[in-house]
Amino acid sequence: MPILSFEDVSKDYLTDGQPVHALKGLSLNVKRGEFVALVGRSGCGKSTLLNLAGAMDFPTTGKVLLDGVSTSSLKDNGLTQLRRERVGFIFQSFQLLHTLTVFENVELPLLLAGKHNPREAARERLAWVELEGLGDRHPHQLSGGQMQRVAVARALIHSPSLLLADEPTGNLDTTTGNVILELLRRLTREQNTATIVATHSLEAASLANTLVRLRDGKIEEITRR
Amino acid sequence: MPRFLLFYRLMVRPLFREPLRTLLTILAIALGVAVVLAIDLASDAATGSFRSSMETLAGENELEVVTSGGVPEYVVGTLATLAYSIRVSPRIEDYAVITDTKKSLPLMGLDLIAEGGAYAQSALQKTAESQTQSASEQVFNRLGDADGIWVGSSVGYRTSDRVELLINDRVRTYTVRGVYPDSNGNESAIVMDLAAAQHALGRYGRVDRILLKVPETPSLGDWQQRLRTVLPAGVEVRLRGTATNENRRMLAAFRWNLRLLSCISLIVGAFLIYNTISVSVVRRRPEIGIARSLGASRGVILSAFLGEAACLGLAGALIGLPLGRLMATGAVRLMAATVESLYVSSRPGIIELNGASVLLALAIGVGVAVASSYSPAREASQVSPVEAMARGRREYDVRVHQARDLWLALVLGLAAAAASRAPAVAGKPLLGYLAAILLVAASALAMPAFVDALTSVSSNLLGKVFGVEAMLASRTLRASLRRTSVLVGALSTAIAMMTAVGIMVGSFRQTVVLWMSDQLPADLYLRPAGFAAADRHPTISSGVAEEVAKLPGVAAVERLRAYEISYEDMPATLASADLNVRRSHRNSDFFSGRPSEQVLAELRDSNAVIVSEPFTYKHHLKAGDSLTLSLGATQASFRIADVYYDYSSERGSILMDRQTMLRFLPDPAPSNVAIYVSPDAPLEIVRAEIEKATAGHRVLLFSNRDLRAEAMRIFDRTFAITYALEAVAIIVAVMGIAGALLALVIDRRRELGLLRFLGAATWQVRKLILMEASLLGLLANLAGLALGFVLSLILIYVVNKQSFGWTIRFHWPVEILFGALAVVYGATVLAGLYPAQVAVRLNPIEVVHED
Ligand SMILES: Nc1ncnc2c1ncn2[C@@H]1O[C@H](COP(=O)(O)OP(=O)(O)OP(=O)(O)O)[C@@H](O)[C@H]1O
Ligand SMILES: [Mg+2]
Repeated sequence: MPILSFEDVSKDYLTDGQPVHALKGLSLNVKRGEFVALVGRSGCGKSTLLNLAGAMDFPTTGKVLLDGVSTSSLKDNGLTQLRRERVGFIFQSFQLLHTLTVFENVELPLLLAGKHNPREAARERLAWVELEGLGDRHPHQLSGGQMQRVAVARALIHSPSLLLADEPTGNLDTTTGNVILELLRRLTREQNTATIVATHSLEAASLANTLVRLRDGKIEEITRR
Repeated sequence: MPRFLLFYRLMVRPLFREPLRTLLTILAIALGVAVVLAIDLASDAATGSFRSSMETLAGENELEVVTSGGVPEYVVGTLATLAYSIRVSPRIEDYAVITDTKKSLPLMGLDLIAEGGAYAQSALQKTAESQTQSASEQVFNRLGDADGIWVGSSVGYRTSDRVELLINDRVRTYTVRGVYPDSNGNESAIVMDLAAAQHALGRYGRVDRILLKVPETPSLGDWQQRLRTVLPAGVEVRLRGTATNENRRMLAAFRWNLRLLSCISLIVGAFLIYNTISVSVVRRRPEIGIARSLGASRGVILSAFLGEAACLGLAGALIGLPLGRLMATGAVRLMAATVESLYVSSRPGIIELNGASVLLALAIGVGVAVASSYSPAREASQVSPVEAMARGRREYDVRVHQARDLWLALVLGLAAAAASRAPAVAGKPLLGYLAAILLVAASALAMPAFVDALTSVSSNLLGKVFGVEAMLASRTLRASLRRTSVLVGALSTAIAMMTAVGIMVGSFRQTVVLWMSDQLPADLYLRPAGFAAADRHPTISSGVAEEVAKLPGVAAVERLRAYEISYEDMPATLASADLNVRRSHRNSDFFSGRPSEQVLAELRDSNAVIVSEPFTYKHHLKAGDSLTLSLGATQASFRIADVYYDYSSERGSILMDRQTMLRFLPDPAPSNVAIYVSPDAPLEIVRAEIEKATAGHRVLLFSNRDLRAEAMRIFDRTFAITYALEAVAIIVAVMGIAGALLALVIDRRRELGLLRFLGAATWQVRKLILMEASLLGLLANLAGLALGFVLSLILIYVVNKQSFGWTIRFHWPVEILFGALAVVYGATVLAGLYPAQVAVRLNPIEVVHED
């Protein structure tokens, strides 16, 4: 069973009373262990797709199923619960909290979910992203690449089944970006998560098991390798 | 013109984008301005009018002849038969209560036959130009009648109406013989013939005042010299209005303290303006950079932000004006009651919102706003264009010089300690107030270090106890240290003032309660039903006390007589008591600590007195010194045997033995009577007996408990206005917290959105903001309580001592204090509700990618 499925999903936004069709009748299935690269021009709907996948927003029509559960059937609490258990987010601009240490940043999703003693898990995740020993630093004491690795560790802290990354290499130089992509691909395999990366990077596209090309809110082509 | 356009676009328009926050800031200033204005207007109205109707009706006389206990009537003759052409107008002056309306009015006895016509022309024609000569003469016909009275038109009676008047402890019926025009009710009086007034008051052979109109040459000073030689030793001739000036001087400290207290809200408001402008500077860093790189000078940037503050200040002042006028109405009632019970009888005058007060309001509104925004505005002007346009909004508190500020705070604290030890300046506790201000400044400077230390040690603990939201809240507050410090500073200043005044009043109250248990040893107290005030001492007909003393079950009576006198240009109370009756007190009430019997024995039949504590401070006297009193026609010297604690009035008091006083002032009528009931007689039965025996007189009988309750009621009413002032300051601070939290939410929206991505539920976001509010409240309460405690010591031992001269014993009013702190804390958390709602409503997808 796919961990994520889009069934004929459309998403409209209203700007100044005018509807903008961000996604138009899109269907897609993603399985555990699958590394998906989402490519397409700016404004084609990549971020919109990720937000729907991460239960941050509802489709206008159609269904988004996360582990078989339709997001539209849930209230705010249910969505929060779903995110806490199944989804990890990675952002282009890292989005670490500067008031917290690396450890505390990584632990944050577990703490928000009300879990106690998250330090062991955090230590382990930092080892996965090869940042052992930096846990007590503050984000401003890290390089961009390191920050993004902390973000990856944070996204994996609760062992999500779906990892969503919106242009994770957008703020990094090519080499560092490639290291991050490599890391994501490795963790996808090792942790058996489903990972969707929205990207402009050709490197990412070449690493992916599945390449989804979007155009004007529709899937133009899907390439599986 | 383009400048103004730019100013509008860049500075004014953004204010409309966050209308609520702008409104909160404006309202904070408005309240601050309103309170200062209200107290200013109200204290003018409440105390201005003690220039009583007696003065208003005194006409154009320049000099007056007075003495303690009344001027012997023969002096009138002496003056009238002098070889100079002096107009001599003797006066009896007291108060009467119209029994129908319970309204208390000045009662004036004048020699109507001699001066009726002249009086009508001079005093009355002034107030009614239309009045014809013949009509005003008619006003005072049938002058000699013993039951005739003349009343001001505003009292509402017509000629030949019958009016019942309560004078001292007697009610008599009078007939209105005429109505004279008066411009407003505050100047109205009941006029009767001199002889009739003497009869009604039982004041035979004496007049209260003799007004003199002297020829223009030589000077008034020379006339005073000349007249002094013909007057008896104790009788004084002085400029008319001296009493008014004395009263004014006596009230100066009271008004001054109230005025300062009214500035607290303004100080709190200043903190909030500082914060508002600081936030505005941070938010507009990129714009500042752009403007600078487009050629705007530092001066332009500086004036733009000062201009923004001035706009807020002006808007606040404009709202504050009508608000202050409204508040003044409530304040004037409270203040008038206080003035009357502590100082001098007065009726509230009219509240006048004149040009000066409008200007004052505008000046303080704009002034405070501009002054408190100067520092952030200067900071904005120092921003370098390149740095400002660099991406990323830096928190505005990068530049907090914790260590330096802490040292500065220490220096200010030491300066405060030094200032608190200095003596009063010109009778005012100027340095005491300076000490208080220095302490507030020191605490503001130490605030960042305090907040930093406390949040850094507590955040993990908070996280463990109250959840991750508390930990995040604590971290956020610590990360924006300057902003947090300013908020905590504002709220803690308000709390500190509340605490300080609360402790001071609570200590004072406790002191009074203890003092009263010693001061009121008798079982029952009798006093005339006529209206009593700090300077009005209606009497009980002589003989009543003696009747009561003969009743079965009455062990003893003690007669107390009080006179309103002037001692060395200050009003004072001169009292006498039956010292041989006085029971020994449980504790010594005397400075020397000697037992009461010993001190009181010294007074018996000798020229020795005891004086109250405030009296010694006003006149720089101590036990062993001697003072000279004018009593009737004579002048006599008295030795101060000791100083006693007295909290009943701020006027100084002198107490002597009844026998001593009767030697000088033979009027035997007491002002009130303390009655001791035999231990074996049932109180209620004795009470009924006394009521029966005094049936012919309008007297009030109080039990010991009633009297204490009454005293405490007056006490609490006296301080009601201070509580009201505190409450406004707290409201201002809490409004500031709400506005600041709103700004904090807006500035941190990206982070709040991110938390939702990371699995935070909406209630967790709400809890986070409420935790921030709660932490701010907690920090402010801690700092405020500590600062307030120190300030209370200054208030009790320096300010109060120097302005009023009372020894107050320190006391923690625990319940009231912690009750109030809990309310403030609750209000702070409530202030977080709306910002929390705003935080919850943010769309995480939209905000997470914003910079
Ligand atoms: N909140 C919104 N309101 C209105 N329109 C929106 C909103 N969010 C996205 N859109 C519109 O929906 C379309 C898809 O936007 P989306 O952000 O998904 O594109 P994208 O592929 O992520 O682009 P980019 O590569 O630039 O990030 C765009 O036309 C965009 O303008
Ligand atoms: Mg995008």
